[in-house]
Amino acid sequence: MAGSAFAKSRCGLIVLASLTLLAVAPVAAQRVLPAAGAVPAEDGQWLMPAKDYASTRYSGLAQINRQNVKDLKPVIDVATGNSRGHEAAPIVVGGTMYIVTPFPNTVFALDLTKPGAPVKWAFRPKPRRAAQGAACCDVVNRGGAYANGRLFFNTLDGATIALDARTGKQIWRTQLGNIAKGETVTMAPLVAEGKVLVGNSGGEFGVRGWLVALDAASGKVAWKAWSTGPDQDVLIGPGFKPYYAMDRGKDLGVKSWPPDAWKIGGGTVWGWISYDPKLKMIYYGTGNPGPWNAAQRPGDNKWTAGVFARDIATGQARWFYQTSPHDLYDHDDINESILLDMPINGRMRPVLVRPARNGYMYVLDRVTGQVYSADAYGYINSAKGVDLKTGRLIPVPEKEPKEGRVVRGICPTAPGAKDWNPSAFSPRTGLLYVPHLNLCMDVGAMEANYVSGTPYVGADVKMYAGPGGHRGVFTAWDPARRSKAWEIKEDLPLWSGALVTAGDVVFYGTMDGWFKAVDARSGALLWRFKTKSGIIGQPISYRGPDGRQYIAILSGVGGWAGAIVSGGLDPRDPTSALGFVNAVRDLPKRSEAGGRLHVFALPRR
Amino acid sequence: MSSRFRAASAAMLLLALAACDREERQARGAPLPEGPPLAAGTDPRAKDYENNAYHVAQGQRLYAWMNCVGCHAHGGGSIGPPLMDSQWRYGGSMEDIVRTILHGRPNGMPSFDQKLTEQQVWQLAAYVRSLSAQPRQDVLPSREDAMSSTEPLTTRSREDVEPSQPERDQGRPK
Amino acid sequence: MTRRALPVLVSLALGGCDGIQSMTGGDGFHAEKFNGLFTLFMVVTGISYVLVLAFLAAAVLRRRRAEADERRAGDDRGLGMALLGWIGFILVGLTILTIGSYFVDRSAAKAAAAPRPLEIIVTANQWWWDVQYVDPTPANTIRTANELHLPVGVPVHISLKSNDVIHSFWVPNVAGKQDMIPGRDIDIVLKPTKAGHYRGQCAEFCGTQHAHMALDVIVEPVAAFNAWRAASLRPAPAPVTALQQAGYTYVMNRECSACHAIGGTPASGQVAPDLTHFASRRSIAAGTFPMTRGHLYAWVADPQGAKPGNNMPYVGLQANELHAVVAYLETLK
Repeated sequence: MAGSAFAKSRCGLIVLASLTLLAVAPVAAQRVLPAAGAVPAEDGQWLMPAKDYASTRYSGLAQINRQNVKDLKPVIDVATGNSRGHEAAPIVVGGTMYIVTPFPNTVFALDLTKPGAPVKWAFRPKPRRAAQGAACCDVVNRGGAYANGRLFFNTLDGATIALDARTGKQIWRTQLGNIAKGETVTMAPLVAEGKVLVGNSGGEFGVRGWLVALDAASGKVAWKAWSTGPDQDVLIGPGFKPYYAMDRGKDLGVKSWPPDAWKIGGGTVWGWISYDPKLKMIYYGTGNPGPWNAAQRPGDNKWTAGVFARDIATGQARWFYQTSPHDLYDHDDINESILLDMPINGRMRPVLVRPARNGYMYVLDRVTGQVYSADAYGYINSAKGVDLKTGRLIPVPEKEPKEGRVVRGICPTAPGAKDWNPSAFSPRTGLLYVPHLNLCMDVGAMEANYVSGTPYVGADVKMYAGPGGHRGVFTAWDPARRSKAWEIKEDLPLWSGALVTAGDVVFYGTMDGWFKAVDARSGALLWRFKTKSGIIGQPISYRGPDGRQYIAILSGVGGWAGAIVSGGLDPRDPTSALGFVNAVRDLPKRSEAGGRLHVFALPRR
Repeated sequence: MSSRFRAASAAMLLLALAACDREERQARGAPLPEGPPLAAGTDPRAKDYENNAYHVAQGQRLYAWMNCVGCHAHGGGSIGPPLMDSQWRYGGSMEDIVRTILHGRPNGMPSFDQKLTEQQVWQLAAYVRSLSAQPRQDVLPSREDAMSSTEPLTTRSREDVEPSQPERDQGRPK
Repeated sequence: MTRRALPVLVSLALGGCDGIQSMTGGDGFHAEKFNGLFTLFMVVTGISYVLVLAFLAAAVLRRRRAEADERRAGDDRGLGMALLGWIGFILVGLTILTIGSYFVDRSAAKAAAAPRPLEIIVTANQWWWDVQYVDPTPANTIRTANELHLPVGVPVHISLKSNDVIHSFWVPNVAGKQDMIPGRDIDIVLKPTKAGHYRGQCAEFCGTQHAHMALDVIVEPVAAFNAWRAASLRPAPAPVTALQQAGYTYVMNRECSACHAIGGTPASGQVAPDLTHFASRRSIAAGTFPMTRGHLYAWVADPQGAKPGNNMPYVGLQANELHAVVAYLETLK
């Protein structure tokens, strides 16, 4: 009798144990991972600034790890010969590295198989010098992209060029932008499915934004999607199904503007594009509406300051979510979208995670555009939150800029809680590594006059450090827990991108030239290297021809944040550089101008 | 009449005369002949515009209207170089500044000769000079129309205008 | 000299009594109420004025008689009664005035609180009026300058702003003055009750051309107003003849489009009056000139001659350019 009871209880225990395991297993298996199909296996190269279509900026190389990163030594340190802001990510294909400099956008191909990485060829596109007068935020370029033996990049005066990656000869050159209107191009193109995707800059010049798909083989325009105007210009058709009611309606790109204002309305596409190869959809954000002075453009100002999902073959819009309807603060929505598959309320969902300019970390459904969460990752007093039922940002009326008055203490500032500089995601830690800002501003708005080719802004801005006194923050954000795992306070604003590796090391650079390696799990500083000029570029990692893992970064301070150095501006006027000069008055003492390429590796054993 | 009375009335007469006509205001830009600016330091219009408070004030208005403030901020620079310091890429005399505004310059300064009248350009040049406190104290605008963030121009001390040194062309490899 | 001056003074005084810019015109809800209150005040104060003069005369006469008589130093009881009567009269008079004032004020406030079907934003600049008709659909907003079209009997809420110095909005026939102060949001509620054409005026000295800052107010029946509103939503018509096209080219490529906007064309300047339906206006340059061909030529050829110091520069157009530009402007109906 006792024996059978024991047998029964043991059997019961086994059943209970199995059931528990079954219940727990799916939850344990529900990790946050990059979108399936968007991240190829690690091959030691770096073919596009975002590393992959999901925009993870994650390197699968693990030779450099938390224990040995302190031994990292510089192996290449060469000048680019250019003294403006270097925002580009170096591209590495096989044994060649490709660098695109700021204006005049020279492309250097460096031979990594030879010591000192000598220049294999240089291509000088000779962009028009007058383009420098139309670039709002230094004459930067965010890098090229490689595909099928060709290197694609954009010039400041609005041309997209395809080069033969081996010889450096131009294959085709398509002129897309018109600098007479104040239009330039600074973004890194995205190449996918035989198309080269290019967007324009000029939201501060009243330029109407667009995204163009060029045929990668011939350079001809396949489709063009405007960011404002009638539905047929914006490529909105019967397949367009926005999730929220505020984004539904006919010709909203005209109706939500005063008459004719959409023609000079902004919505430029100067930031990052992600691609889901399974859904064949691209995801990108549109820039700020013009002018900054919102009183001149009552209405929601569609389709600016929001996220588009489009079909890559035809450009037809599938959904749109407006992050900042009737934007008041120049909160372009062009930041990167990291495509992830993550558990939401127990079920795995295809999402995109975006640290937006307005300070909220958005998690949207990639298929429908529904906002699952929007949590503040920086200090915000100009919005109360996002109403998840209607999708609308809830503004704070006291912080709304008013014509003829100065409204003080608006947080986050115009470059937002984070500007263009991209974050990185590690599937090993499940964390998003976000280099960003802690700044607030005073704004005096006034009527802006539109004169084609000149700025169309209407605001005097003065920026300064936010609560705490530190101007930059490096945050490790946990998307599953919707909170910060750890953060590092930085004195200067952070304007560089981030890189995370399989060795659990995170790299980023500061504006006074410290290139840092921190522990991906704890944030502890593991190694740092001082460059003469501040760092605003995007770090990459690749496997060199000798099999070693290398880390590469361009230094050369500038961009909007560093204009005081790259432009030689005068800090006696705090409104210079649209207010940024006031926030970094100490920068000229801490960093000089001058671009250099730095490559690091562990010493050979 | 007592001598004190005579002295007092003479003084009053002098004061009354001095109170007339602080300056001439040429609303139409006539009768000075219109035409391109002469070499630096030789054009007679330079002093007339630079030392006239009305013209400097109109220049201040045009500086905002033509979006100079969008590229040069309130003298500190942004897309364009600072205008309140002593460095002048293309020359800092009134005539040089007028030429810069009229014809533009190679590295991004647009040309305004189709969009502004000659008088408006001279007024703008006078205001640009006032950003480094070149005009007389009583001519400088005492109040910034925009967000109060810089010290008033009347308290600024005059910058030297250093001879034009064209900056090294951007981005040319060493 | 007094004899010659008298008719001038009288005609000047009477000139304020009637016409398109008249404080006693009474063509609006508030203006009518004001007229009624004004009359009440005139009556009460008029009576007391007459009584004061009467008492003064009586006192002088009694004093003279007293001096001649050497007796009757003062009829104390009669004087006391008169004094009490006078105090009583003042109390009653003041009470009447206070009550009258109170009721007019309350009815004006009620009119202001009424649901407002028409929203307008008027921004004062040196020396012109920027008028915007607000609509829940932003694409249906209308921007015009120096004219205000209002429907009869409909309350209108006007937000008053200023882009530079303090101005004051005043349409005497319809209501009172309201200052427009840069950086402040001030508003006024009007309700015109009689159709017609009235003249408003800037009522706060705002610079050298303050006197030439008039506002054409056209009050029309609701149907006519709606028709005007629909017509204003149309963009500017395209130029037809060669001369008009030459004018269009000049306006788009030269000085004009740096400051002016014309709907449906590349001209999008914000700091000068909107010219989309310029030729349909009654006057040029905020009442400086009536809208006739000759005056239009005069204005475009030499704005500084007519209105010296205003912000439209003397361009110095050649004769053929002048003909072309005026020809194009005349098409902007």
